[in-house]
Amino acid sequence: MTVDKAIAWVLDLPAWVWITIIAHFLVLGTVAYLILLERKVASWVQDRIGPNRVGLGFGIIPGLKDMHMFGLGQPLADGLKFIVKEDYAAKSVDKVLFTLAPFVMIIVIIISIAVLPMGGIRQLTKQVDITLPAQGASQQQALAQLRKDADKDYYAAAPARDYVAPDGTAHQVWDVTYRYHFQIADLNIGVLYVLAILSLSVYGVVIGGWASNNKYSFLGGLRATANMISYEIPLGLAVLCIVLMFGTLNLETIVDQQAHYWAGFIPAWNVFSQPLAFVMFLICIHAEANRAPFDMAEAEQELVGGYHTEYSSMRFALFFLAEYAGMVTTSAVCVALFFGGWQIPWVDKIPFIAHLMPDANHPSVTTSLIVCIVRALVMFGKTIIVIFVFMWVRWSLPRFRFDQLMMLAWRALIPLSLALMVMTAIVVYFWAPEPGTVMLINGWAALALLVGNAVVLVLSMGISMILPAAPLTNRKAYVPGSRYRRTPLPLGIVSGGSLAGPRATGSPVVAG
Amino acid sequence: MKDSDVIVLREPHLSLGDQFYLPQVLIGLGTTMKHMLRTLGGQNRVIQYPEEKREDMPVEKGGINLTTYRGVHRLNKDEEGRVKCVACFMCSTACPARCIHIEAGEAPWADREKYPVKFDIDELRCIYCGMCEEACPVDAIELTHLYDIVGLTRQEMIFDKSKLLRVYDKTVKDEPM
Repeated sequence: MTVDKAIAWVLDLPAWVWITIIAHFLVLGTVAYLILLERKVASWVQDRIGPNRVGLGFGIIPGLKDMHMFGLGQPLADGLKFIVKEDYAAKSVDKVLFTLAPFVMIIVIIISIAVLPMGGIRQLTKQVDITLPAQGASQQQALAQLRKDADKDYYAAAPARDYVAPDGTAHQVWDVTYRYHFQIADLNIGVLYVLAILSLSVYGVVIGGWASNNKYSFLGGLRATANMISYEIPLGLAVLCIVLMFGTLNLETIVDQQAHYWAGFIPAWNVFSQPLAFVMFLICIHAEANRAPFDMAEAEQELVGGYHTEYSSMRFALFFLAEYAGMVTTSAVCVALFFGGWQIPWVDKIPFIAHLMPDANHPSVTTSLIVCIVRALVMFGKTIIVIFVFMWVRWSLPRFRFDQLMMLAWRALIPLSLALMVMTAIVVYFWAPEPGTVMLINGWAALALLVGNAVVLVLSMGISMILPAAPLTNRKAYVPGSRYRRTPLPLGIVSGGSLAGPRATGSPVVAG
Repeated sequence: MKDSDVIVLREPHLSLGDQFYLPQVLIGLGTTMKHMLRTLGGQNRVIQYPEEKREDMPVEKGGINLTTYRGVHRLNKDEEGRVKCVACFMCSTACPARCIHIEAGEAPWADREKYPVKFDIDELRCIYCGMCEEACPVDAIELTHLYDIVGLTRQEMIFDKSKLLRVYDKTVKDEPM
């Protein structure tokens, strides 16, 4: 194959191949640099500067040795360390599962980036020359032929002109419009796909904790499983509120529907119309990613490393990267669902940009590739901001105790998300669109949703104050010789036998 | 273990804001953001070694006082260039880490009885407390301001008499006796 043919073949590759390759490497590169960002953010919060010595010269390349570059070469050094470090497995681990756990985790997380809407839809119009069949063909037949030959990005076609070629055959030139989605896969069930795939990441944690044959790993894996499974329910319900609003699971459509304005200037983002759903979603994705304050599973001070204690070098790197890649993916889904995805607010009011949007009903369609790329970068930027919030929260909040964590999911978030879903359903009923169409949230519907969110919040707080107290989950048991013997018993508790201290008999004791 | 053995603790009463937790979360996030912005604005006190060194900074800003800092030891010489030490063993006795080893010998000079034939200090065992400096009656041993001495082997970091005298030659200009 000659060079020209090879280049032509490469340029002819469908759009999704390019997007896949670029998105994949971008995610992996981002994940590596997120480790550096995490260390830097941690340092800034703690009044110090993070790693700022490793430039791109690694300290040995002569020209670049002294250029520190704010420590931007640190992820490369980390990567090198992971590659050359000794990779061992303890003798008593389960051979197959020990190796399998990080693979499961990283594969699952990487394939979930497939449905993220990255740049909208690019419309391209090409001229296609069709030879009409000899016996006086009709336009319908030409159209059928065109549809058969076109790929799935085909959108519309219109005949432009007829002419007769020098050799006597009749030709028609058609203007064929293609619409390319800037997504790896434009699934109609995008949201469901992401939720289902992210649920599979629990398996990586479970298998890793179990296969390590180590009680700390086992406990860590157990806690992580309970954590992740409990928080999938309010996650799904919060997403369901958004899905109810729009009536579609397609992420591209959801972003598309957020790309208009209320009252002329407020961008129609879901964070403004359903802030409570956004807050719940944010809490749930913190828990799904096992990030502080929900990082019981890898609580460094308690469990050594939790489920990744026994892993070293590349296996640990895969777990680590999977955690950060999960953060990236769920942040991107959060941005797509709540912050209008790739939309840059108010930019499409500029006449020069508005000229590039052919379809007023679908702001995601644009004729310019540059706009699509800029949108992808904007989505990336918003994702980084949400990830920054992840890191900010990690270094601000103390860790939840395991029973507090469970209580938050089952007793607080699930009832709240159910109430929110009911409220959303009521509002959607009153603004119901015709069956089969996607609902457009206009200003009044958004206001109703916002009021509904506030009502749900106030009502649930009020009801929680009236409800009887839940049974105590935090009880301390007496251990002979422990200091609890000296703690005075609360008023009303009858002391038992000889195990109670001498102060407990007779005189009433005031509660501590 | 009976039910009556269980001690039920009453936890402190939380206000509504505390129960809801999110207001406190937001206040906490504000505190960390304040620290972050302060650090990014350049108000941190991190010294970028080796571009900035503590001996170059004034004491108020975190620098060290060259005359009082307790760093590596040196053996002082008198005006004629002889070692001042008279091998009285007071520093060796005073040392809490027992890192000074002296061998005394008859001094080749008329005005002294003893002088150290061998004077070894294990700089890695030393805790840099300065007791030897305080104990010496003839001001022979002093701690200098040098702190960045490194070695590749432990043997290298056992300073013998000649090395300690070389430290004197290096530091006497910046830090007179």
